[in-house]
Amino acid sequence: MDYNEQLRLQAFLDGELPEAEASKVANWLARDREAAAMLEELRHTCDALAGSEEGIQLPESREFFWSKVQREIQRLEAPAPRSAPAPLFARWRRFLVPASALALVFVAAVWLIQPAGQTGGTAAGDIETALANAGAFTYRDYSAGATLVWISYPADNEIAESDEMGTVD
Amino acid sequence: MTVKDHSSTDDQTLVRAAQQGDMAAFEELVARHRDRIYARAYSMMRNEEEAIDLSQEAWVKSWQRLAQFQGESSFGTWMTRIVINLCLDQLRKQKRQRTESIEAMDEESGGVERQMPVITVNPTAGLERGELRQRINRALGQLSYEHRTVLLLHEFEEMEYKEIARTMDCSIGTVMSRLFYARRKLAVLLADLKKQDSV
Repeated sequence: MDYNEQLRLQAFLDGELPEAEASKVANWLARDREAAAMLEELRHTCDALAGSEEGIQLPESREFFWSKVQREIQRLEAPAPRSAPAPLFARWRRFLVPASALALVFVAAVWLIQPAGQTGGTAAGDIETALANAGAFTYRDYSAGATLVWISYPADNEIAESDEMGTVD
Repeated sequence: MTVKDHSSTDDQTLVRAAQQGDMAAFEELVARHRDRIYARAYSMMRNEEEAIDLSQEAWVKSWQRLAQFQGESSFGTWMTRIVINLCLDQLRKQKRQRTESIEAMDEESGGVERQMPVITVNPTAGLERGELRQRINRALGQLSYEHRTVLLLHEFEEMEYKEIARTMDCSIGTVMSRLFYARRKLAVLLADLKKQDSV
């Protein structure tokens, strides 16, 4: 009996053969004693196994085993613990960091856009009048890098005062 | 608050109640089927502690997947499939970790079972139930997990070859070969145990 025949015999025992094939094996068994002995051996093993698991009991009490199962279920179903609210400073810092970065970028952009050496005023220059002394004018030319201060002497207000006192000659 | 007594309620009703979140109903299901689930885990793992852990894990998994149970099979069968899959995963992990024994490689290559003489006498005839169980237990322990599992799935779960192949992720030919080897080896082991006991 070759290996395939042995496996065919087993499939016959397990009811895995189609009807036509099963009847062929039945005929074969009727005339081959070795095949019949093999089938008997396989059948004994199946019979021996039947019911061999009976009587195996979980070696833990009902209450103890259930308490373990329940605890595990509850552990898995418990919602993830919520993190404590962040302190006020930490929450502000969350906004301050990007805001500072934005401000820095803005300043850098303004500085890059302006031509070098020009930090304000018009292209032609600025004319400033000293408020404390209306007789003095300052002219700054940024492109030439020059500053001119123009002082009228005597100052206009001094002339007026002199006129009132009658000291002009 | 009174706890409802579920001891006289059938499985189907208990499952429906458990699907609605009734823990007491689920506890009754655990109590009813825990021995069967443990026995299957023990038969596969051959280790009490692992069998307890895996059967516990199976119950936790079943609670999580209870909504998926539609009642195509009995609750007990559905539960058994869960524990079998967990045991198979565990056994595969263990197999990856350990070096294959020469015997196991021999078994995988096949052919050994062809040379075994046919056991003409029933080696379990006349044995008491307890003694028979003990011998089978010892013999099963000497099979590799692949052979033992094929045998258990076929004999206890009554799975067909193709279903075993799907469960164990192998071909039907491999299932037939492993099953044949396992049966023959078991017959030889039981016969040896009988001889040893009679000396």
